[in-house]
Amino acid sequence: MAENGAILQLKGLSKNFGGVQAVDMLDLDVPQGRIFGLIGPNGSGKSTTVNLICGVFPVSAGNVVFGGRDITGLAPHSRLTIGVARTFQNIRLFNHLTVWQNLWVAQNGEDDKAGQNFIRRWVSGPGSARQQVEEMLDFSGLAHRRDDLAGNLAFGEQRRLELARALAARPQMLLLDEPAAGMNMEEVGQLRDRLMKLRETGMTILLVEHVMELVMGVTDHIAVLNFGKKIAEGTPTEIQNDPLVREAYLGTA
Amino acid sequence: MDDFLLELIYVVQSIVDGILFGTTYALIGIGFTLIFGVMHKLNLAYGAVSIGGAYASLMIFHLVPSPIVAYLASAVATGAFGYLVYLCCFRFLPLSNPLAPLMATVGAFLFIDEVIVHATNGMPEPYPSVFDEMIFFGEFGLRSDLLFVFAIGLISMLVLMYVLYRTRLGLAVRAVSQQPVAAELCGMSQERTNAITFVITGALGGVAGAMIGASVGVLSPLLVAPITIKGLIVTVIGGLGSIPGAIIAGLAVGAFENLFQYFRGVTERDMYVMLLLFLFLTFRPGGIFSSSIGRD
Amino acid sequence: MDFYFGLIQLIGVHTLLGLSAYVVLLTNQVTMAQAGFFGIGAYVAAMLTVLADFSIVPAILIAGFAGALIACLVGFPALRVKGLMLVVATLAFGEFVRLFFFNFDYQIAKGEIQVGPLGGEGFRQIRYFPENGWTTGDVALFVWVFVILIMAGLWWMDRSRIGAVLRAVGEDELAAQSVGLNLTAVKVSAMTIGGFIAGIGGGIYAHYTTHIEQSNFNVLLATFAIAYPILGGLSNVFGTLLAVVFIQGILVEGLRFMGDWRNLLFGALIVLAMNVRPRGLLDERAMMTLKRLFSRG
Repeated sequence: MAENGAILQLKGLSKNFGGVQAVDMLDLDVPQGRIFGLIGPNGSGKSTTVNLICGVFPVSAGNVVFGGRDITGLAPHSRLTIGVARTFQNIRLFNHLTVWQNLWVAQNGEDDKAGQNFIRRWVSGPGSARQQVEEMLDFSGLAHRRDDLAGNLAFGEQRRLELARALAARPQMLLLDEPAAGMNMEEVGQLRDRLMKLRETGMTILLVEHVMELVMGVTDHIAVLNFGKKIAEGTPTEIQNDPLVREAYLGTA
Repeated sequence: MDDFLLELIYVVQSIVDGILFGTTYALIGIGFTLIFGVMHKLNLAYGAVSIGGAYASLMIFHLVPSPIVAYLASAVATGAFGYLVYLCCFRFLPLSNPLAPLMATVGAFLFIDEVIVHATNGMPEPYPSVFDEMIFFGEFGLRSDLLFVFAIGLISMLVLMYVLYRTRLGLAVRAVSQQPVAAELCGMSQERTNAITFVITGALGGVAGAMIGASVGVLSPLLVAPITIKGLIVTVIGGLGSIPGAIIAGLAVGAFENLFQYFRGVTERDMYVMLLLFLFLTFRPGGIFSSSIGRD
Repeated sequence: MDFYFGLIQLIGVHTLLGLSAYVVLLTNQVTMAQAGFFGIGAYVAAMLTVLADFSIVPAILIAGFAGALIACLVGFPALRVKGLMLVVATLAFGEFVRLFFFNFDYQIAKGEIQVGPLGGEGFRQIRYFPENGWTTGDVALFVWVFVILIMAGLWWMDRSRIGAVLRAVGEDELAAQSVGLNLTAVKVSAMTIGGFIAGIGGGIYAHYTTHIEQSNFNVLLATFAIAYPILGGLSNVFGTLLAVVFIQGILVEGLRFMGDWRNLLFGALIVLAMNVRPRGLLDERAMMTLKRLFSRG
């Protein structure tokens, strides 16, 4: 953890795709145990930033520092092991695996690997799996669907499963990429409650989102991107009143 | 000292021969890479239709004993066969499942291979060539039939470039390869464009098949698998989706192959070409140029 | 009766070949190399029994490990890159193996005759079974003991976390990475397991045909290897077995009507099957339907 209590630091983060500067010299400090919002108009580089943090794309310049450690060059799967988990904008569940299996394969956190010997971890059947999968199922209200193929779930259930899967390895930080997309107001409210419960457990959440009710209602701190650059940062109230932000979303009259 | 010079000349000769013959590999590589660029799939039957088209042109040659006509017939025949492969292996298959069309093209490969074997009783068939003499510069000999192959290959590539970059047809092909959905929305039928791509690459493959027959002197069903594999190797080394990569890689593979043959003989030569592929995969998996057509 | 035992042996060995591809296909990697590992297993086991007087079971097991080792070595460069590259790499590898044995001589004298692999002529006189008094029935049983053991092992694997992890990687690599799975490690492991199974199959094959040569291990065999699990569907091992019986049954029958043209039939069959049932005979939907049928009745 950095001195200022930030668990995630982006320093001069930049990414260009053959001439398109998707992320431009982004500096960000995400404080530990808080819900941090990342918003901006379409194409502003939010998803790319998430992908850079997770290692899906190599950075063009800059650093990603997590828990005081520079992870800029770290392989994507290793980032999960050190505590960075994510969900996807278009749900990416393992559709032909059951709900149970989706959670089972995701237990790849540091303590998962340390806690079980090879036989128990790999070779034994589903019965030996840890209490944790059951807890996840209960937490996300999916216990009754445990043997159904993930692809057969209703949309809302799929979103819950994706969140549960991200939590399966007990990460320190959760990156949520537009988790409320396609949800109705009731579902957004349930999501908000779930996120607040997670915050109480000490989880850090980076929330990329368009649904303003969710963002304004649950985040502690927000950064606004436009054309890959950070144009504003502050509390929800400050952001709502920021003229630059309004201009980015609505354009100048 | 004289012996060493002679040795050197022979080595350079085999490299040059290899580069000249390598144009056929380049053409096959371009075919694979073009289909990959447009459909993001491999057509494993491509080498088979190319040789198959050359065989078909032999039938024309027995009617009209002109090699040039035979070469053209080979291009036309392979274009037609290419379209048939498109119909059987791609047109009706779900695009989201990459395994099924791949498997189907393997089936087509086997089918064509067997048809050739049975139609010819497994015996090699002589194939017409145009020039035969060696041109000598002192001790250094240039095979005129290979020069012809090189020239034809070059012309084919130029024609392809013209079609791709100066005609509406080519524009459609490039558009579909970059953004299939957007292209469809602009009125370009994906099906039609895909089918046309198969025909164009078929024509290219037919020329390659004919040129291979012309330089080797015979056509044999034993050519089908090695040509397919070497064509794929060229595509991979050149970078999937890159035409310039396929051209350079084709010439390079031709050169290396001949060099291996010079030093280790013809039965061992292909083994080293395979090893060349693995070398590339280990150190430069993207190929020389990675995808310039086709982006996700 | 011998004919039927022979067919049972063939189906058994081809099931092993198909299962070796099944494991790799679970990770959505198309491998044309299984015939190559099969061939390596064949030559290794045969050389051990003929040239070094090994007993059959150790020879076959070592053949399996040889297959596994080579598969691991081949897998590393080939699996770090896009899936389509693997098709090319494995095709090239298969050809390499075939050419290698085409050029491979290692003969020693046994009594008055020379035994051992002889390049293009192949490896003759692999006579462990006849020399030790095994009947065709004995051999058939022997083959199927291995098949059943390996099928049981894979069935167990499908229920374990390994199976779920393989399928997760096969389903969505990006998501698999994001939940912490090391793609290369998983894919290479699948390849290695497949290489082991293929090596075992090859070792057995060499001994019941008594004569092997490089042309046995060609693209056609490599195609059979992946055709079985693709046609059979990837939801469980029985699909592969079913496909072997189905395809070999058709081909054996086809032999009666079409004689030498049956490989033509095979190629056409594949094209047809892919158009009609792209996800295989026993895909997930079929399995769900079967489950429902059986639980009701």
